[in-house]
Amino acid sequence: MTDQTLIIQFQAGDAKESAFTQLLKRHRESVFFQIKKMVIEHADADDIAQAVWIKVWNKLDGFKQESAFSTWLFRVAYNETLNFIAQKKRIQGQIKQSGQDLEIEPASNAESLNESQIQIKLERAISELPEKQRFVFMLRYYEALDYEKIATITGTTVGGAKANYHQAVKKMTELIQLD
Amino acid sequence: MENEIISKELEAALKSFEAKNNQVPEGYFDQFEMNLMRKIQAEKNAPKQAKNLSIFSAQKKYLVAASLILVVATGYLLYDKGNNKLIPQGELVQIEALPDEVIEAYLNENEVVAEVDWNGAIEAIVVEVNLNN
Repeated sequence: MTDQTLIIQFQAGDAKESAFTQLLKRHRESVFFQIKKMVIEHADADDIAQAVWIKVWNKLDGFKQESAFSTWLFRVAYNETLNFIAQKKRIQGQIKQSGQDLEIEPASNAESLNESQIQIKLERAISELPEKQRFVFMLRYYEALDYEKIATITGTTVGGAKANYHQAVKKMTELIQLD
Repeated sequence: MENEIISKELEAALKSFEAKNNQVPEGYFDQFEMNLMRKIQAEKNAPKQAKNLSIFSAQKKYLVAASLILVVATGYLLYDKGNNKLIPQGELVQIEALPDEVIEAYLNENEVVAEVDWNGAIEAIVVEVNLNN
């Protein structure tokens, strides 16, 4: 059964849950891993992924199928991830302002003491990329999506998506070569 | 393919990054699904909050303008009414109705008004007019 058929089934109201769970099973991993590559922390990725799928449940009735379901799904994931990152930055800013200057390092840094230096550098480089560049890079490199889809997901042009990808590669290459 | 421009060093690091980030605890996705469906059910069963509907939302700006006009008009009317009340109507007396003695007594008591040098003032005006001509 295609995504389209499942969506029609969901929107018709019959076997709503079954249609939804099939869509979930089909796409949950790609969405989760995309989010996890963005935020690194497993718990954060879990929260965002839950929020994404709840939004899908609530909004799928209004989805007009003008784009592929996966494109729409990644767009929801992109927005939720950006919201989460912005919220986290605000909280971290407030903690710093209130004098509780707790250095919130990504957990991965602590875990990666035994990892190769290059891996640590890469994680730092990724975390230093602007969110949009990071998301575009992950979609292109790991999901192998075409630029048109990436542009739709991130709300940019094809040219903009290409520029984001090249900028990300350039920055990461520079940063991992630094001593 | 744009991936070709990636250096070998970066590519190796990216592969390792993917391997590390694609690890989840066993049974994680099944648990994820169960938690999610539980949340959705809870949301479905939760009493829906009534939306705050405003009947006049479309005419908001006109209502604001009308309110302002009303406030200004009310303020003006109250101010005007207040001014009229400074001298109560019952206390107004027409000068013609006053007896001559009362007027004379008033003028005597208010000498500044009574002793105006009318002749001097008229002469000064005449001199000024002549000078201008």
